[in-house]
Amino acid sequence: MDIEMVRYLSKLGKLNFTDEELEKVAGEMTGIIEIMDAVKEIDITYEPLKDNHNVYLNGLREDRAMESFPTEKILKNAVSSENCFVVPKVVE
Amino acid sequence: MDITALKIRDMRTMLDKKEVSAAELADAYLERINNVDGKLESYITVTADEAKSAAAKAQEIIDKGEAAPLTGIPMAIKDNICTDGVKTTCASKMLEDFVPPYNATVMEKLNAGGIVMLGKTSMDEFAMGGSTQTSAFKKTKNPYDLGRVPGGSSGGSAAAVGASLCAAALGSDTGGSIRQPASFCGVTGMKPTYGRVSRYGLVAFASSLDQIGPIAKDAHDCALILNQISGYDYHDGTSAKLDVPDFTAKIGKDIKGMKIAMPKEFYAKGIDEDVKNAVTEAAKQYEKMGAVIVDCSMPSLKYAVAAYYLIASAEASSNLSRYDGIKYGHRAEEGESYNDLICNSRSEGFGDEVKRRILLGNYALSSGYYDAYYGKAMALKQKIREEYGEIFENCDVILTPTAPTVAYGINENISDPAKMYQADICTVTVNIASLPAISTTCGYDKNGMPIGMSIVGRRWDEATVIQAADAYEKQFTPVPAKL
Repeated sequence: MDIEMVRYLSKLGKLNFTDEELEKVAGEMTGIIEIMDAVKEIDITYEPLKDNHNVYLNGLREDRAMESFPTEKILKNAVSSENCFVVPKVVE
Repeated sequence: MDITALKIRDMRTMLDKKEVSAAELADAYLERINNVDGKLESYITVTADEAKSAAAKAQEIIDKGEAAPLTGIPMAIKDNICTDGVKTTCASKMLEDFVPPYNATVMEKLNAGGIVMLGKTSMDEFAMGGSTQTSAFKKTKNPYDLGRVPGGSSGGSAAAVGASLCAAALGSDTGGSIRQPASFCGVTGMKPTYGRVSRYGLVAFASSLDQIGPIAKDAHDCALILNQISGYDYHDGTSAKLDVPDFTAKIGKDIKGMKIAMPKEFYAKGIDEDVKNAVTEAAKQYEKMGAVIVDCSMPSLKYAVAAYYLIASAEASSNLSRYDGIKYGHRAEEGESYNDLICNSRSEGFGDEVKRRILLGNYALSSGYYDAYYGKAMALKQKIREEYGEIFENCDVILTPTAPTVAYGINENISDPAKMYQADICTVTVNIASLPAISTTCGYDKNGMPIGMSIVGRRWDEATVIQAADAYEKQFTPVPAKL
């Protein structure tokens, strides 16, 4: 896997790498993709309509209002909050 | 007598006969953790105060004569299972300070059953790994040899059970993360059928594969825990609306005539001779007990590791996109923009293996590669399920090694991620096919390291899997870890 591909994938995954890290990760990913390439050897196609293995699990739940978690308890895990989550300014 | 070495059933008898109190039992474990865990590093958080108050509560129930099978039993919980008010880190810097505002459903059920939680155990970061060496906090050791890994990702739970630092533990299994560490640490670990146990409150890795299960001293103890944690849950749409049977029901029943299949690919090149021999000997023992060994084949096994890693990483890359440093989790110093803040938080919070999985998942799902990788992996998932279906037409359970090797040396494989992935060959197909499986010790290698065998069952047939494992355990003398 080349460095440009790793750069593209890290952008998709919202991850930063230094140039040095990119090189190391590209090497590791090449080894990993070699293993993944095994799936290319076999000529079969996924048939979504036949994928009913867990279909019984798809029962829809009754739509009922339930008590929410208390706001203070949820905000406790946020590093920055003022009765709501605080984020950097997103509008100019 | 060392009460910490006992099985749950023996503790139950002693608690009910008032030969030991729940507080004495909890104290014995806390003292042992204090003495031993500095070397083993199986716990990330020890909840001594909570354990003492839970023990007092359990004692009241015992005194009233209303004890359930797990009342007063000290247990450890893998640190990716949410515990209200107790840090749940996933062994990641990302969640170093995360205190869940709610309990996972399994915790509600265990608490209702009166367990005493001793603490939260270490694991591979976000359950991604097979050695517990990707933990950001405690790189757990093997109780049989502190120079070796305990397996993973539930390595803290398995090591804690193996070293008698808890009576039993919960783990989670996405591609072998309960069974492989159980095998490495000489204990018994069970992955239930997908949908048997609610995943609500289990930090998501690969949602179509993840399942919570017990790790204990033997199959019977696993069954007692499974009885307590199973069942439909409104909060998890993938939990099955099925009645929960008594998983101990078939224990002790004759296994005469039970058909045990051994797919030849699981005994091929790449599996250590010691491991192959021990599992083959176990098969002979089953034959002596009246079981019938059936030869069979699973041709797609050679594609299984690739199919598994593509599916699991694709799901992980989506699941882990929730970590933005804003609502919870590590938050970097302010970036210049909203996007910078998220990128910086994720880059600082996640470890190397987690980042690799995110990259791999994005690769498998990205346009131009989707059909060649993810599409193919999904097709293989169907094929592997079909092959299991064919095998189960002629047998009751399947017997395989749990891992190709015994526990290896610390840092032996960690620099080569690709090699680490290959080591999951024996366990991943069970998750792909949603099946129940148990790993129990069937022997020891020349260095005294435990060798595990796996018994795989039909969907929802945990009871037969437990019956088969228990039958073997009854005639096998385990060698406990000396720690």
